[in-house]
Amino acid sequence: MKKITLIFASLFLLIGSSCVNDLETKPKVNLSLEDLLASDPNAIEGILAKLYASYALTGTDGPGSADISAQDPGESGFLRAILNLQDFTADGMKNRWGDGGLDPLTTASNWTDNNKFFRLFYDRAYYTIPQCNNLISILNNNTFENSDAIKAEARVLRALSYFYIIDTFGRGVLATEENLGQTTPLPESSRIELFNYVESELLDIEGVLPDRISYGRVNRFVSSMLLAKLYLNAEIYTGTPRYNDAVIQLEKIINEGGYTLDPNFVQVFSGDNDSSPEIIFPILADPVSNQSYGNTTYIVNGNMNSATMPTLDFGNLGGVFAWAGHRATKSWYGLFGNSAAELANASDRRAGLFWTDGHSFEMNDYREWTDGFPSTKFRNSGANSTISASEFSGTDFPLYRLADVYLMYAECALRGATNANMADALTYVNLVRNRAVATPITSGELTLDFIIDERARELNLEGHRRTDLIRFNRFTGSSYIWSWKGGTFSGSAIPESYKLFPIPISALNSNPNLQQNPGF
Amino acid sequence: MKTIFKRLLLALLFLPTIILAQSTVTGTVTEQATALPIPTVNVIIKDTSRGTATDFDGNYTLEVENGDVLVFSYIGYLSQEITYNGQSKIDVSLVEDAAQLEEVVIIGYGSVKKEDLTGSVDLVTSKDFNKGNIVSTDQLLQGKAAGVRITNDGGSPDSNPNIRIRGSASLNASNSPLIVIDGVPLGNQNPAGNSNPLSLVNPNDVESFTILKDASATAIYGARASNGVIIITTKKGTSGAPKYNFSTDTTVSNGGNDLDIMDSENYVRFINQYFPDKVELLGVPVGSVQTDQPISQIITTPSGDRAIYDTDWRENILRTAITSNTNFGVNAFLFDLLPMRASVGYTNAKGIVIEDDYERFTGSLNLSPKFFDNNLKVNLNSKLVYAEKNAIDAGGILGNAIGFNPTQPIYNNAPDNRFGGYFQNTIVEGNNLITDGQINPLSLAEQRDRPESVKRFLGNIELDYTLPFFPDLKIVTNLGLDASKSNIEERFSDNSVQTYRFDQTNSDIDSNFVFNPGVNYRETQTITNTTFDLYTQYRKEFETGFLNNFDVQVGYSYQNFKTDGIKQIFNYNVDSGLREETVNPDNLNNRYFNEYNLQSFFARSNINLNNKYLLTFSVRADASSLFVSDDIWDSDVWGFFPAAALAWKVKEEKFLKDMASINDLKLRLGVGQTGQNDITGAVGFYPSTPFFQAGNANSQYFPNSSLYAALPFNPNLTWEKTTTYNAGLDFNFFKNGLINGAFDIYRRETTDLLAKAPVPAGQGLTNEFIDNIGSSESKGFELNLNLRPIVTETVELSFSGNVGYNKTEITDLEGADFLEAGGNLRGTGTTLLYHKVGLQASSAWVLKQVYDTAGNPIPGAFVDLNGDNEIDNDDRYFEQIAPNWTYGFGFNFNYKNWDFSSGFRGQVGGHVYNQTKLNFGFTESAIPQNASSLTNVLNFYTGAANPAFTDYSNQNVVYSDFFLEDATFLRCDNITLGKRFDNMIKDASIRFYASVSNAFIITDYSGQDPENFGGIDGSFYPRPRSFTFGLNLDF
Repeated sequence: MKKITLIFASLFLLIGSSCVNDLETKPKVNLSLEDLLASDPNAIEGILAKLYASYALTGTDGPGSADISAQDPGESGFLRAILNLQDFTADGMKNRWGDGGLDPLTTASNWTDNNKFFRLFYDRAYYTIPQCNNLISILNNNTFENSDAIKAEARVLRALSYFYIIDTFGRGVLATEENLGQTTPLPESSRIELFNYVESELLDIEGVLPDRISYGRVNRFVSSMLLAKLYLNAEIYTGTPRYNDAVIQLEKIINEGGYTLDPNFVQVFSGDNDSSPEIIFPILADPVSNQSYGNTTYIVNGNMNSATMPTLDFGNLGGVFAWAGHRATKSWYGLFGNSAAELANASDRRAGLFWTDGHSFEMNDYREWTDGFPSTKFRNSGANSTISASEFSGTDFPLYRLADVYLMYAECALRGATNANMADALTYVNLVRNRAVATPITSGELTLDFIIDERARELNLEGHRRTDLIRFNRFTGSSYIWSWKGGTFSGSAIPESYKLFPIPISALNSNPNLQQNPGF
Repeated sequence: MKTIFKRLLLALLFLPTIILAQSTVTGTVTEQATALPIPTVNVIIKDTSRGTATDFDGNYTLEVENGDVLVFSYIGYLSQEITYNGQSKIDVSLVEDAAQLEEVVIIGYGSVKKEDLTGSVDLVTSKDFNKGNIVSTDQLLQGKAAGVRITNDGGSPDSNPNIRIRGSASLNASNSPLIVIDGVPLGNQNPAGNSNPLSLVNPNDVESFTILKDASATAIYGARASNGVIIITTKKGTSGAPKYNFSTDTTVSNGGNDLDIMDSENYVRFINQYFPDKVELLGVPVGSVQTDQPISQIITTPSGDRAIYDTDWRENILRTAITSNTNFGVNAFLFDLLPMRASVGYTNAKGIVIEDDYERFTGSLNLSPKFFDNNLKVNLNSKLVYAEKNAIDAGGILGNAIGFNPTQPIYNNAPDNRFGGYFQNTIVEGNNLITDGQINPLSLAEQRDRPESVKRFLGNIELDYTLPFFPDLKIVTNLGLDASKSNIEERFSDNSVQTYRFDQTNSDIDSNFVFNPGVNYRETQTITNTTFDLYTQYRKEFETGFLNNFDVQVGYSYQNFKTDGIKQIFNYNVDSGLREETVNPDNLNNRYFNEYNLQSFFARSNINLNNKYLLTFSVRADASSLFVSDDIWDSDVWGFFPAAALAWKVKEEKFLKDMASINDLKLRLGVGQTGQNDITGAVGFYPSTPFFQAGNANSQYFPNSSLYAALPFNPNLTWEKTTTYNAGLDFNFFKNGLINGAFDIYRRETTDLLAKAPVPAGQGLTNEFIDNIGSSESKGFELNLNLRPIVTETVELSFSGNVGYNKTEITDLEGADFLEAGGNLRGTGTTLLYHKVGLQASSAWVLKQVYDTAGNPIPGAFVDLNGDNEIDNDDRYFEQIAPNWTYGFGFNFNYKNWDFSSGFRGQVGGHVYNQTKLNFGFTESAIPQNASSLTNVLNFYTGAANPAFTDYSNQNVVYSDFFLEDATFLRCDNITLGKRFDNMIKDASIRFYASVSNAFIITDYSGQDPENFGGIDGSFYPRPRSFTFGLNLDF
C-alpha cells in the first residue's frame, strides 16, 4: 500500500512539475519589452510614436479601437475632446447632435460630473501621462542611443497633457515615472503644484531639445510655446501674472525658430499643410495610415453636410461621411460682417471660410443644421496640390503656430510685460492681418478688446477659445453674452465655477483623495 | 504530454484477445407486469464482456458455457442473474424497478448511481429531448431543466445559444456554463466561423445531458464551474447483436408576419399626410426603371409623374426554408470484444432569411472495450465535423428590409443602372453618383458571399484500470483533444453596391466609378485545445457495520487552449477607388495568438453510512495562466475550492421503509466554493503581464516608423469566488412513480467579482481595467415535477414540468454606485444597461413616460421623480432585463404504437426594449437626416406606432420606459405526433412522426419577439415556425 501511494505520488509530482510551466503563456504577437527591444532596433522610437499618437489616434487597432473605455471609440480622441471642451462651450462654434451630454457643452449649462465628454478628455490626458511615464522609466533603466533627447520629448508630451489638466480641471494627481505602477491612490495636487511641476519640467529640458528633429516631433520651440501658454495664463492658474516670462519664450520662437507665416492662410488648414512654414507643432493625420474619428476628421467631416454643401470641394466624400454636426455662430463670423453678403464681400480671407448658401446667419435653434454657417476653415482638399476626397482627413492639426505666437506677444505687451514693446506688437499683429488680406490696424486700435476678437478671427476652431475667454474674463458671468450661453437663445450668465470643468465621477470614485471642484 | 499519449496508444495495440468455443442458449425476455416482450435487453455473461441484446420480439441467442452466469439488465428494471447449466432455453421476465433510480449519472471525474447523488444534478435523457426542428444540440435541452435558461440570438441555424444556469453571477467574467462533451471540456472561444459551439455536435448522437447546478456538484470542476456545468454524453456502443438506426427528417420553416410596417398604399397615404413636400421621393420617375414588377399606381407630383410599386421588402428577403437531417448509426460488438457505435450525419439547414445556408457533415465513433478480465476499461470517442455556412449580414439585410421605401421596385434592368440589376437610390454629389439612404437588402444578401467553414475534431481516450492485485484501487486517465480549423472568405460579385467606389482622378460622372468584385476579407484560424486528466480512486465496501462504503479520489487535470489565426485585410484606395491589401509592416499576416492554460489538483471522497447517509467532500486547487504575472506559484494564481454535501436517504429509514406509497425520498444539503477566471472576453488572454502592441496599418503615426503601445495590465488579478448553499429534496411517490421530482433552494454569494472598473487616474495604462471588486448574491429555487397518471399496458400518460426562480443582485462595487454595461440605443453614447448596487446586473436605466388621460404617451414628457423641476439622469430609474421566473412543461401520451407529445417554455417578468419602435416609430423616421431618400416606418394607421411621436428632438426620448416592455411569454416549443410500426419491415421497427416547432407564442409584447437575451429588440432574426416530418428506422 505504501509503495503504491509512493508510486502515485511521484507520478503526480512528475506530471505536475513538467506541465505547470505551461501556465506561463506568451502572446507571440504582442511583445514584452525585452522581446521588443531585441526584435526592433528602433523600438524606443516606436514607443515614442505612441505618445504622439495619443494626441491623434483613439487606439492602436484602427479607428474603431480606443485606448480608454468609450462606447463610441471615435469619441475618445484628444483633439475631438479639445474641440468639444474648448470651442463648443465658447461663443464661436456649436454642435447640434446633442447626444449623450454634448448639449450641456454647446450651451454651457447643466454641467455634471457624469457627463461623458468631461470624462473622455480627463481619461485621455491621464492615459497619455502614464504612457509617457512608462517610456521615461524604460529610458532611465536602460541605456540607449539618443536616450536623453527622447526622454526630453516624452517629458514635453507629458507636460502638454498636464497643461490641459491645469487649464480644464485645475487639479489632479501628479503621476510621474517615480510612482509608476503604484496602485494606492496618489494624493491630489493643486493647480499651483501642477503648474510648478510643468514649469520646472520644461525649464529642466530646455538645453536638451534640438531646434528641429523632423516634422511633427517636439523641438525646443514647442517646449517654449507650451511654457509661453502656461505663463500667459499664469494669473488665472496661480494668481500671479508671468507675462514677462511668456515674452522671453515667445521671443525665442520669433527670433530663433525660423518659422514664417504661411502666405496662404487656407493652406495652414488644408490637406497639404505639412509643407506649411508656419506650424510649430502639428498633430498629424493621414487618410490611410493615421486614421481616427478623433483628429481633424472630426472637424472636417463634422462641418460638412451633403444636403447644403458641395462636400467634395472640401475633400469630403459626402453622404454618411458628412456628419452635419458643427456650425460657427455670428459670434465668430459676425466679426467679419453682419450678413452672408457682407462676409462674401469682405477682403479678409478669413471671412470667406464659412458656408452660407442655404444657411441662416442667426442660430435660432442650434439643433437645426441650417441655422448658422458651417466652418470650412479646415478641409481635406489641398491648397496647393490636388488631394482626393477620403473618409478620413489627412489634414494635420496646427496645435501651435506662428500667428498665435504673434498675437500672444501683442497681448503680453498690452498686459504690461516690461520686456515687450508695443511697436513690435503692432508689427506682429499686422503681419497676421496682412497675411489674411485684412486692413492693418493702427497703434490706437491695438487694445485687449481688439486682441480677443482678433484671436477669434484667426484662431477659432483651433482649441483655444474657452481658455482665451476666461483669460479676458468673458467666459463666466454676464460681462459677455453669446447666443445659447447658459442654455437660452438670447444667452444668459453662467456661474464663476464654470471656469473649471467638474472632475468626472469615475475619477472621484476610483481615487478618494480627489476633491470635486467647487460648484459641482 | 505527447510521450505519455504515445505510450498509451502503444499499450492499446498489444492488448490480447481471447476467444473460446461455446454452446448456444436462446430465450425470450418479457415484462412481468404485461407479459410483453422487451427489446434491447442486455444479456451479458457475468464478469465478461460477452453478451447480446434481445431483438424486437424480446428474443436472444447467446453462446455460453456451463457455469456461466447470465445477467439480464434493462434500464428501469431490476437485473436478474441466472446460471447456465445446459438449459436450451432460458426465458426471463423482468420486474420494473419502482424507483427507476438505477440510472447512472455522469458527474465530474466519474459517475454515480442517481440514488447516490448528493448534489443538485439534473439528468435530461433522450426521452425528454425536444423534438422537431433540431439543428443544434442546445435545442434538445431548451425548457427541459429547471433554472436553465437558453436564449438563442434568433432563428438562424447557427445562432449563439446564450445558456445561463441560475442567472448570471459575474459582471465582466463569463456567465456561460462549462460544457464538457464526453470528458472534453470545451474552450471558451468558439472557432471562427461558428456562432454556436453546440452546433458542432450532431444532436442525434447525444445520449444525455447532466446539469450540475450546485457547488457540491460542480466543485470538482472548480475552475470555470461557477456558472454550472453541462456534461453532454454521446451514445456508446453496447455488446450484443448489431443494431442499426437510420433516421431522416425534413423541416419546412416560415417566418411569421411579426412586424407591422407600411405597405405601399399606406405609405403613399402617410407621406401625403405627414410630409407632402416629400411626395416626389415616392416611387421612381415614370419610365426610369425597367422591371417586370407591375406598377401599382402613378401619382402626380410637382417634379413629375412617379411610378409607385408595391414591394414587401421583408417578404422578399424572407423565404420558406427547407431543412433536412439524415443520420445513420450502428451499434456492434466487434469480434465479440469491442463494443462500437459509429454514426454519420448530414444536415442541410436553411435560414428563413435568403442566402442563410448551413451545411454540416458529422461522423462519430465510440469504442468501449474492456480488457484483462474487465480490469482495463477503455472508452474512445472521436467526432469529426465539417460545417460550412454562408454568413450573411443578417442585421443589415433585416434592417434595410424594414426601412427600404415600399413604393420602389426591387430590380431595375435599365441600361444605365450600375448595380447589377438591383434598384438603388442614388443622388449626385459633385461629380459622383452616390447611393443614398437604405441599401437594397436583396443586393446585400445576394451580391456578397461569405463562406465560413469549420473542420473540427473532438476526441478523447479514457483508460480506467483497476489494479488486479489490489482491486480496491483504480487509476483513470483521460486524454482529450479539441482541434479545429476555420476558413473565412468574403467575396463580392460583379457590380456589388458594397464595393462601389470612385476614381477621383476622373471627373466624368458616367465613367468615374469602379466596382471591386472578388475577395474582400480572409481569415484562417486553428484552435488546439488539449485536456489531460489523471486520477486514482480507492474504494472500499464493507459487508457489515455502519460504514457501508467509501471512496477517495485524488487527481490532476491539465487544460490548454490555443488559438492561432491570420487575417487578410483590404482597404479602398482613396484616389483610384481600387481595393488594396492593407499591409501592416509590424504584423504582416495580421496574426493573432491566444494561449490559455488551466491546471488543477483535486481530491474527493464519497462516504456511504448505513446506506442512509451519503457524504461527499471535495477540494480542488486551480491555477490559471490569466493570473500569472511573474511567478506561477504566486497565491493570486491559485484558487482553493472546497465543498461538502450530505444526502439523507429518508426512504431507507425504518419508519418509511415499508410504506409502499413512498418509493423514494432523499434530502440533500450542500455547500461549496467554485471559481471563475474567464475574463478573456473583456481583457484578452494576457491581462496580468505587461506587453506592447504594435499599431495596425491604420494606426501609425510617423511615416516609416513603427508604433508600440504599452498595454494595460493588472498584476494583482485573482479568482472570483462563488459560494453556494443548496438544500434539495428528491421524491418519488405512489405506484409507478405517479409523482416524482426534485426541489432545490439555494443561495449563492460571489466575491472578488471580476469587473471592469475605473483605475485611479494616471496610475494605469488605461482608465478602466478588470479588477477583483465587489460582490453579488443570488437566491432562488427550482422545482422539477413529473406526473405519471396513467400507466397501463396500452396507454401511458406523463406530464413533466419545471420552474425556476432566481434573483441576483449586486451587493457591492467597492465604492462605485454603478458601472456601464452596454446596450446602445440610438446615436452614440445612449447606454441602456448598467450594473448597479442593489439591483440585478445589466438593468435598464430609464425615464418614466407620462401618459395623457386617454392613456396615450406624451412624447418627451417624463415624470420628475425627484421633484426638482428638471428632467435629468436623477429622474431615471432601473428595470431589470433578465426575468426572475423561468419555466417549462410538457406531456407525453402513448397509446399502443402512437405517441403524442408537446413541450412549452417561457418566462415571467423581465423586460425587452423595443428598438424597432424607437427607430421606425416616429413619423420623422421616414425622412432621415443623413439622406434624401425616404425610409419606411411602422404602421401608424394600425397602432403599430403612435403618430404623436413625431421626432427625436428630445434627447431623453430614447430612455423612455414606453419602449421598455414586459417580456413575459409562453411559447409552445413543439407538438409531435408519431406512430411506430413493428412489422412493416421484417425485424425492424419504423416510426413516422410529424412535428410543429415554435407553434405559437403568447405574450403582451408589442414588438417582434419578447425572448431576447440582450434585452434590446432591433433587426431581430425571426424565429421561424417549422413543420417537420421524419422517420426513424431501427433494425
